[in-house]
Amino acid sequence: MGKKKASVNGNFKDIVNTVKFLTERKHFINSAEAVLPICTDDFGVNKVAKSLHPKEQKLVISRIEEHAEIAKSYYFKSETAPLAYFKAGQYLTFRFEIGSAVVTRSYSIASSPASALKGEYQITVKRIADGFVSDYILDNWKVGDEVTAYAPEGNLTYNPLRDAENIVAVAGGSGITPFLSLARAIDQGDENCTLTLLYGCRTSDEILFKSELDGLCEKNEKINVVYVLSHSDEEGYEKGFVGADIIKKYAPEGSYSIFVCGPGGLYKYLESELPKLGKEKKYIRFEVFSSGKKEEEEPRNFSITVINRGKETVINASSNETVLCAFERAGIEVPARCHTGECGFCRSKLADGKVYIPEGEDKRRVADMQFNFIHPCCCYPESDLVIRVN
Amino acid sequence: MVKNYDAVVIGAGNGGLVASARLAKEGKKTLLIERHNLPGGFATSFVRGRFEFEASLHELCGIGSITGKSPLLKIFREVGAADKIEWVSLDEAYRLLTLEENEKCDYSMPLGKEAFIAKLEEYDPGSSAVVTRIFELIESIEKTLDFVSNIEDFKPSMIKEIFSEHTEFLKVANYSVDEVLKAFGASQKTRDILNGYWCYLGQPTDELNVIHYFTMLHSYIIDGAVIPKGRSHQISTALLEAFTENGGEAWFNTSVKKINMENGKATGVTLDDGTQINAKAVICNASPYNAYTKLMDEKAVPEKLKKEVNAKTLGAKGFAVFLGLNRSAEELGLNNHTYFIYPTNDNRRCYELSKSIQTNNVQATVCLNKAFDDCSPEGTSILYMTSIFAGDEWSKVPVEDYHKTKLSFAEKMIDNFEKATGVKIKDYIEEIEIATPMTYARYTDAPAGTIYGYEASKEDGIVKRIVFDMIDKGIPGLYFAGGYTTRHMGYSPSYTTGDMAAKAAILAMEKEAK
Repeated sequence: MGKKKASVNGNFKDIVNTVKFLTERKHFINSAEAVLPICTDDFGVNKVAKSLHPKEQKLVISRIEEHAEIAKSYYFKSETAPLAYFKAGQYLTFRFEIGSAVVTRSYSIASSPASALKGEYQITVKRIADGFVSDYILDNWKVGDEVTAYAPEGNLTYNPLRDAENIVAVAGGSGITPFLSLARAIDQGDENCTLTLLYGCRTSDEILFKSELDGLCEKNEKINVVYVLSHSDEEGYEKGFVGADIIKKYAPEGSYSIFVCGPGGLYKYLESELPKLGKEKKYIRFEVFSSGKKEEEEPRNFSITVINRGKETVINASSNETVLCAFERAGIEVPARCHTGECGFCRSKLADGKVYIPEGEDKRRVADMQFNFIHPCCCYPESDLVIRVN
Repeated sequence: MVKNYDAVVIGAGNGGLVASARLAKEGKKTLLIERHNLPGGFATSFVRGRFEFEASLHELCGIGSITGKSPLLKIFREVGAADKIEWVSLDEAYRLLTLEENEKCDYSMPLGKEAFIAKLEEYDPGSSAVVTRIFELIESIEKTLDFVSNIEDFKPSMIKEIFSEHTEFLKVANYSVDEVLKAFGASQKTRDILNGYWCYLGQPTDELNVIHYFTMLHSYIIDGAVIPKGRSHQISTALLEAFTENGGEAWFNTSVKKINMENGKATGVTLDDGTQINAKAVICNASPYNAYTKLMDEKAVPEKLKKEVNAKTLGAKGFAVFLGLNRSAEELGLNNHTYFIYPTNDNRRCYELSKSIQTNNVQATVCLNKAFDDCSPEGTSILYMTSIFAGDEWSKVPVEDYHKTKLSFAEKMIDNFEKATGVKIKDYIEEIEIATPMTYARYTDAPAGTIYGYEASKEDGIVKRIVFDMIDKGIPGLYFAGGYTTRHMGYSPSYTTGDMAAKAAILAMEKEAK
């Protein structure tokens, strides 16, 4: 059987059609203007992308509010660019130069997303024992100072496609801030969930934003606040720690998601408490604060050879501090945001040596494990190291 | 500070990575500059909770899991990256579903030529004779392309050979997919099924060049498709590792401020910190939009190149929903790896509808567990849905509406998936991430958040690009790699043009040395 050859409009016409593309192409290019194309930055999409995720934000402290003696709220405005919009529950990472150290720390945004559109952010910093950076802020930042922050980041945000419509938020200490932002966003109509806030403090004196929270609770039926005191027995407050019993007692009818934000001790406690509720993993979300330190009786000293843009620097490190802490102390600046292994900004190549990564903190990609890339923010040196950071 | 290299590569996207790896392998002292902290550009992954999500790859063709024809694997082997990547072969091409009540369809197509033709015959009895002829044409086109791409030293006698041996290619080269399929007498149903992949190129088949689409059908259906087990991040990192093992230097979190020119020739780059990098070749994996408007002085950009970029239209803008589900694929009834869900099989209408956020209903969705079940913890699964937008409507979304616009489009995609497949997923979402055109713009600086480079329109089809658009674009010392060059955007084309750019640079260096 003779093979039938392909033909669209007959052999001759087909070839003519193909030859036509020479003139078609010439016309196509020549009819265009010989001017520079629109700059990438000028597309609406790219403008919004840049305003949501600026490389950095220069913020000016516009006012400072004292909360008794234990904490201060800092309000920021920007004189150069609109503040990056965000989702309630996200944090800002600030950059500090303290002595010879270059350090980043993250603080949840306490103000609402709507106030960012109006040009204001608020964070709240609480004084804690051995708080290297929080002490620095509380003792040094004053009105009019310019500070450097990066774009808002973080995943402790309400998503109606994933979370239950009711959020039970467990806050410890200054872990109240992301939920204050959420409460404000609910009240302003920007979020659609209900919020049951279980706020754990040592004593009633340590409760931050009490009058505002009480006010929101009073005026908005979607918001409910319960204070839980661990170190004093006072009327009108729950006594103890926020655990399964308290959650059960106050959780709304029907399905709910638990959001947690607070210090390490709170997590330890909840690790044994939350399983009692028998909830699926999807309904429990954490924001972890990490100190970058671990308990060790006799910390060992190591050296790290840091390779940055082809340049080698040797720095000291200790087995009880993360690799990122060693970088910061030595003034080696690497991109870092979350300090908990989650965001991946500090991803670096471990070219030589051994590190310890606490169980469950290893949020690396499969291929990063294969090729020995690490997140320095949750790795502790176990030998001398060689690390390529950039 | 001034540093000297043989070559400097701007951007560690797929094109930049392969170019770098090739240059280092050939002994060229090469510096790769990337402004982000990761290699890969679009080819990456990210972790949320207990899930690692693939950022963009659906299936990779060019690895030849069925026929062994694997131009990409050849490149990866030659540059020393192949044995660092673990591939999983797919046996399914796609399941094609439509949403509109009056033309609901549901076709599941396998990979492999014989299996594909047989399955089409089941759906459209009597089609196999026509479809067999179509596949003959597909193979004949491939032969021509192989002949052309293997030409190392062009001789005039080859023109004669092209005219005598490659007439089929010459006859169809300037037609659209529809024109050719109709001329072959393919029925509407056969055309609907064969055109399933149209969304991977983003162009309706009434103008999409037939050579472009048929080469794609060849590499997917005849040659076979794979995915890397460590997500596309594994390919990106493997290429980077191969590059550094061969002496290459890569600097991340580093931006190029300027491509330096002297007497109309590219001589290197200046970095964000003022460092001057001198190099005999500059390979640009950034888009021409970036290169011409941000990295070069206006007077250094030839008039012809300005016209070229203005003549073209930006391709589809991306949108994706990544879902970590807390049930296994089996429990949920996710039986397919690749789902194409369209409002209708009239892909011209799909394309027109995709210009608006309100009316766009196109999605290509992958259940990674159907490729390899251990991609997520036991009892869970990963599903990611991608949509494409023609036009630039996302540019009109103001920042204050951004989050709700993004959420509501994601919800529509999930609803459409449930409606088309009957599989319920909404109650099982443990992790969700949503990428909009803004997300692609953020991570890759893509103009308007496009994920497809330039549109593969009739005027700018792939044959025309290959014939007319040059890798070096006529500026000595400057070579372009990646999604805006002589091929369409996509994994295979970007890896290929990266290799072509490196080879062109190496050739020029060798000529210069003589």
